Amino acid sequence: MMRHFVMRNLFHRPMRTAIGVLAIGFEVMLVIVIVGLTSGMLQETAKRIEGIGADIMVQAPGAQIFFTMSGAPMPAKIAERLRELKYVQAVAPALLQFSMSGGVETIWGIDPATFHAVSNGFVFLEGRDLQGPDDVLIDDWQAKAKHLKVGDTYELLNHKWKVVAIVEHGKAGRIFVPITTLQELVGARDKATLFLVKCTRPDHTDDVIAEVKQLLPTSPVRPVKEFMTLMTSTNIPALETFIHSMIALAVSIGLLVIFLTLYTTVLERTRDIGVLKSLGASKLLIIRSLLSETALLCLLGIGAGVGLSYLFRAVFLKLFPTLSILITPGWIVRAGLIALVGALLGASYPAWLASRKDAVQALSYD
Amino acid sequence: MSITVRIQTHTTHGTEPELKTLEPILKTENLWKLYHAGKVEVPALRGVNFDVLPGESVAVMGPSGCGKSSLLYVIGGLAQASRGKVLVDGNDLSAMTDADRTKLRRHKIGFVFQRFNLLPALSAKGNIAIAQYIHGDGFDPHRFDVVTKMLGLEGRLHHRPSEMSGGEQQRVAIARAIINEPKILLADEPTGNLDTKNSEIVLEMLRRLNKDLGQTIVMITHNPEATAYFDRVVHMRDGVIVDGIPAD
Repeated sequence: MMRHFVMRNLFHRPMRTAIGVLAIGFEVMLVIVIVGLTSGMLQETAKRIEGIGADIMVQAPGAQIFFTMSGAPMPAKIAERLRELKYVQAVAPALLQFSMSGGVETIWGIDPATFHAVSNGFVFLEGRDLQGPDDVLIDDWQAKAKHLKVGDTYELLNHKWKVVAIVEHGKAGRIFVPITTLQELVGARDKATLFLVKCTRPDHTDDVIAEVKQLLPTSPVRPVKEFMTLMTSTNIPALETFIHSMIALAVSIGLLVIFLTLYTTVLERTRDIGVLKSLGASKLLIIRSLLSETALLCLLGIGAGVGLSYLFRAVFLKLFPTLSILITPGWIVRAGLIALVGALLGASYPAWLASRKDAVQALSYD
Repeated sequence: MSITVRIQTHTTHGTEPELKTLEPILKTENLWKLYHAGKVEVPALRGVNFDVLPGESVAVMGPSGCGKSSLLYVIGGLAQASRGKVLVDGNDLSAMTDADRTKLRRHKIGFVFQRFNLLPALSAKGNIAIAQYIHGDGFDPHRFDVVTKMLGLEGRLHHRPSEMSGGEQQRVAIARAIINEPKILLADEPTGNLDTKNSEIVLEMLRRLNKDLGQTIVMITHNPEATAYFDRVVHMRDGVIVDGIPAD
């Protein structure tokens, strides 16, 4: 009977219910998408780093694992010192430059010869390797996103580049230019952001890391195969805070909407509450019926939120094919629980208020 | 305190009056109800002494503001008495907590209101069944059938209040009030929102409940014609019972 009563009450005002469901759905979607976007980008970046085929990555002292925003604080000639180490087969310096022109891009400045020695080269879908100073390689996702083909001009960093090849995605970045041109463009002559090291055999990785740490004691030296596990929001400064802030914002929206919805519901049902009291309904029963209604509303909202998340992802990836939104069952459950707890918190005060209403006043309420 | 009454009973020697001692099912002793308007105390009831015997039907009449509704709410446990005693089936409401009065209402009292007060989201059936649910014994289909048949609601059970006439809504409200076999049915001007025809139907149903099922009924009314359906009429004025003095 209680379930029937709750259901009937919920659908008695379909517009209000629809708004409540949408608000919770929006809250759930916001959590899923924000987390999905950050973790998707991190995971995708990590996959691409692992996809290079190097064994070790050496960064500048104090550099973060998510190096997109890193500058170029290391002399490129360190590569020579690294090449001299035992069990080192090849070393490739790379200069990374973050660009906001026409979207968020990370441009990889590479020396084709050393980069190929470390990574076994690109898979060319079309075109040829970097030769001239203004050549640019892009991966297939970037080509699709920017509608570029071989021979086109691509303007980045206020410089006109010529697209000379489209390569298969999954290796390092999406845009590759000659390191020397990029060094000149960004005023970082003979500098590098990181060094990729290929060992003679993968099982020498630990030995090489130990050697590099002796040579460059303040530089972070990481095995590339661990990148996937290291590339989480907890390892990126401020990202965790950003995610928590967004979740708090989403929860606040949900909580306020539920509070207002339930508050108006309780006002509207003042007389009904008086009737329930006249029938002998306890305070607990009144609270339970309102919280059950909220929980049901929330479940519908969670369902809508999950659906909206997938819809948003589909539209978003259509517009920005180079980005990634990772929707995981774990975060769907977490987003649902966050919404449920927030909604129940938002409903608890109006429900308590309803249970405390004076029966006589409630019955004479117009 | 018991009351000795002369009631008509059927014996082997034929129909003859017999003396029987009955405890009142409802009794008030020096009952006061004060409302507060700012710092001013406004008495709605001023020492009401009032008894109702089991199976009795009593109409309470009086002008607006004389305290009829306050009396109904206090004896129904919806409002707390300020002073004095209210005994319902031997339980002193004035000494009870809100939770205990709620429990007593659930098991011993049924209410019918002037404005029907049906839950708009539920059908007629739902409105009756929720009373059974709150009562705690669950849905009793037999009792449900008996009550809805008696009130002529069989064909309207799946309709919502907004789809029913006032008379039908009030019959649903009566069904809801008696579905759990309360000791006392309290009706607050149940015909106040009905036309003459529907008023007569509702009053006739209340009479049948009283005569056929022995349901104790206390009804508040403005309508002098309604009193003809009741065993006893009590008049109120200025918060006190003024029996023997015409109220209007």
